[in-house]
Amino acid sequence: MTIQSAKSGPTGVRIQLDHVSKVYPGSTQPAVDDVSLEIPAGEIVVFVGPSGCGKTTTMRMINRLSEPTSGKILIGDKDALSIKPTELRRSIGYSIQQAGLFPHMTIRHNVGLVPGLLKWDRKKIDARVDELLDLVGLDPGQYADRYPRQLSGGQQQRVGVARALAADPPVLLMDEPFGAVDPITRSSLQDELLRLQTELGKTIVFVTHDFGEAVKLGDRIAVLGQKSAVLQYDTPQAILANPADDTVAGFVGTGASLRQLGLMRVKDVELRPHPSVHVDDDVDTARNALAGSEFDWAVVLDSRDRPVSWIRANRLAHARDVASVAEPLDVVSTQSTLEDALEAILAESHASAVVAGPGSRYVGVVTLETLIEAVTTARADAGAKPTGHGAP
Amino acid sequence: MTTVVADASTAGPTRAERLRLLIQPVLVLVVGAAVVFWAFDRDLTATQQENINAANVSQLIWQHLLITIAVTVIVLLVGVPLGVLVTRPGVNRLRPFVVGAANVGQAAPAIGLLVLLFLLTAKTGFWIGVLPIALYSLLPVLSSTILGLTEVDRALIDAGNGQGMSRGSLLLRVELPLAVPYILAGLRTSLVLAVGTATLSFLVNAGGLGILIDTGYKLQDDVTLILGSVLAVCLALLVDWFGGLAEFFLAPKGLR
Amino acid sequence: MVGALWTYVTDHRLQLLFDSYQHVSAVVQSVLLATVIGVLVGVLTYRNRLAADLATATSSVILTVPSFALLGLLIPLFGLGVIPSVTALVLYSLLPIIRNTIVGLNAVDPALIDAARGIGMSRLDTLGRVELRLVWPSILSAVRLSTQMSMGVLAIAAYVKGPGLGNLIFAGLARVGSPTALPMALTGTLLIVVLALLLDAALVLLGRLTTSKGIR
Repeated sequence: MTIQSAKSGPTGVRIQLDHVSKVYPGSTQPAVDDVSLEIPAGEIVVFVGPSGCGKTTTMRMINRLSEPTSGKILIGDKDALSIKPTELRRSIGYSIQQAGLFPHMTIRHNVGLVPGLLKWDRKKIDARVDELLDLVGLDPGQYADRYPRQLSGGQQQRVGVARALAADPPVLLMDEPFGAVDPITRSSLQDELLRLQTELGKTIVFVTHDFGEAVKLGDRIAVLGQKSAVLQYDTPQAILANPADDTVAGFVGTGASLRQLGLMRVKDVELRPHPSVHVDDDVDTARNALAGSEFDWAVVLDSRDRPVSWIRANRLAHARDVASVAEPLDVVSTQSTLEDALEAILAESHASAVVAGPGSRYVGVVTLETLIEAVTTARADAGAKPTGHGAP
Repeated sequence: MTTVVADASTAGPTRAERLRLLIQPVLVLVVGAAVVFWAFDRDLTATQQENINAANVSQLIWQHLLITIAVTVIVLLVGVPLGVLVTRPGVNRLRPFVVGAANVGQAAPAIGLLVLLFLLTAKTGFWIGVLPIALYSLLPVLSSTILGLTEVDRALIDAGNGQGMSRGSLLLRVELPLAVPYILAGLRTSLVLAVGTATLSFLVNAGGLGILIDTGYKLQDDVTLILGSVLAVCLALLVDWFGGLAEFFLAPKGLR
Repeated sequence: MVGALWTYVTDHRLQLLFDSYQHVSAVVQSVLLATVIGVLVGVLTYRNRLAADLATATSSVILTVPSFALLGLLIPLFGLGVIPSVTALVLYSLLPIIRNTIVGLNAVDPALIDAARGIGMSRLDTLGRVELRLVWPSILSAVRLSTQMSMGVLAIAAYVKGPGLGNLIFAGLARVGSPTALPMALTGTLLIVVLALLLDAALVLLGRLTTSKGIR
């Protein structure tokens, strides 16, 4: 999910697929059957679906690596089918799973390929290569003159993305670009992409078979079925809360509720006030605070009201001071996701997540009930809206 | 990440090679019969008749084959054991020398080797023809034996060792059978080299079809010249075909 | 023996230099021509299974033909001298080059070709900047093989009055009995071996210089 305000406004353009079909010669059945989608400018739209459903073919029709047999494709309101294919592709960034870096060219040469094809002058290309490598987190001085085989898988993928961005295209097509790396690298590459998008605001079409990745990256998700039929096209929250049919629900999988928690933040829910004491309070004050409440534990704050530990009522009974019976505490912030909050709840024996707000000051706790209510409300809200099927 | 280009090594018979196995013998027989018919069914001069008659031609073909077979036997008896020897641990150091010598043997022009042996020994005859050709044809079998043995998966040798197989047993029952496809490919190349070079053996009186080509050339007799050349080509293609059959049928069933 | 050889070489060094130059020059030019034709045929046929099989099979058959017999067949067509010799060299050099070009081009990772097309390279660009550059080491290795073969075949071509050091060998053969016979034949043979090795080394060097560090 991205924050929709790039520094100078989105640089991406709108893409429209209008009744696009693809039938391979010699086949009776279309691989892509009458797909209509509008991809808003500056957003990441993820095509997700099972293997063989045609999602990659649909994406590849946008840059005409695969020619549609019928239908219209408009990019930035221009008819893609009327432009020469090589010219079209030079204005669209293309990033694939194996990075597709040419092994016999240096990184600099690889990244500067499209600007070279567009006949930019040497100095401009060099400057741009340096800028892009820096953008994807690789030091140009160190990496620009190396060869692909000298880089790790994750680094090669970053270079692949840099190459796709080289000519500053308004549209980026990405075909499972993070599929071939290990999960940790994949996660950091996904974070990188989101960060880049907040700076650049391009229109990105991203293909994946991993629904979790779709939820993490997409402003909108198009769940595609056989023959690339659009089963549901909506925001991640809407799809999670309200899958359009059994196929989509099956694809979303059983972790939908957990995933929804990942999309909401602590600051979005109501915190429950919970008794607290200060670390330098005497034992009697502490006991009194708890005596009057229904709870058997309290949060311990420091002199600046930051939660540092917690105490149980039954331990206070025989304690000399608060500090000696305080137990360690894990704290979540108001910016944390509800998934983090759930994690904290499960880990602490007091079954709550203690929340710190601005200035790290204590603001309240999140309980299991809070979370359940949050998910239920989200579902209800989504159920009230009509689900998307083509137009956002 | 991405591999660049695969090696053009022995990767099983392709469709092209299978087609060739079927078409080649047919082509050979047709062309061979045609040229023989064409040469024999003419008004030949007396000199021509000396060479172009059934007895002479069949004798020349037989001589040619004999040389080829002798060379093949020598090459196998020397090349394979030598290849096995230099891939044994410990003897590895000798490998570059042995391979280097065979390389020189092949870099040297066959004609040069033949003439040199003749001049050195002041003798002519069958063996003066066979030995240089054998040296010239040695490299393909030697290098393919070495390649085949080094390509054997280490894991298999390990498994054999683990099961208690002796070194000799490992060699005979695991390594060599797995190396056979490579050796056969090398043998086929050697065979072709041998039969081709045997056309020169007439220079040292070892017989063979080359004499027809030589006679035709010297007497400016195109008929004899063409007969000799075409028959030599047919024989070579036939021998190559046998090599192909051997490659195909003698390889261990599990590897085909 | 060595003395006689040394005397012979020093006495005839100019002639030997000339013959060596002729031999190497004929081989280099023939292999160059074969490379151009071979790569062209490879590029034109590698996409089409049938055409590629045909091209490979034909040049494979040519390679099986004994060189002496091929020369014999070329005499009625081209006469004697340089033309049949060079024709034979080119014909023999074709197979390794065609085979390696076709196999190599078909072995290029399809993802790279997809990437090349995807970023907007034209067909020609993709071929020239990506595919051929990647196949080059394989083509060069075939060129090395063809060169070695040609050095030997040209020696035989001296029989049909072809150029080069083969003439020395045949001259030695003709002079059997005379004291210069062995030195001549030996010199001819040794020079061919040495020149073949030198040419091979030169090609290896060429390979180093023209192959990108990224794929060595």
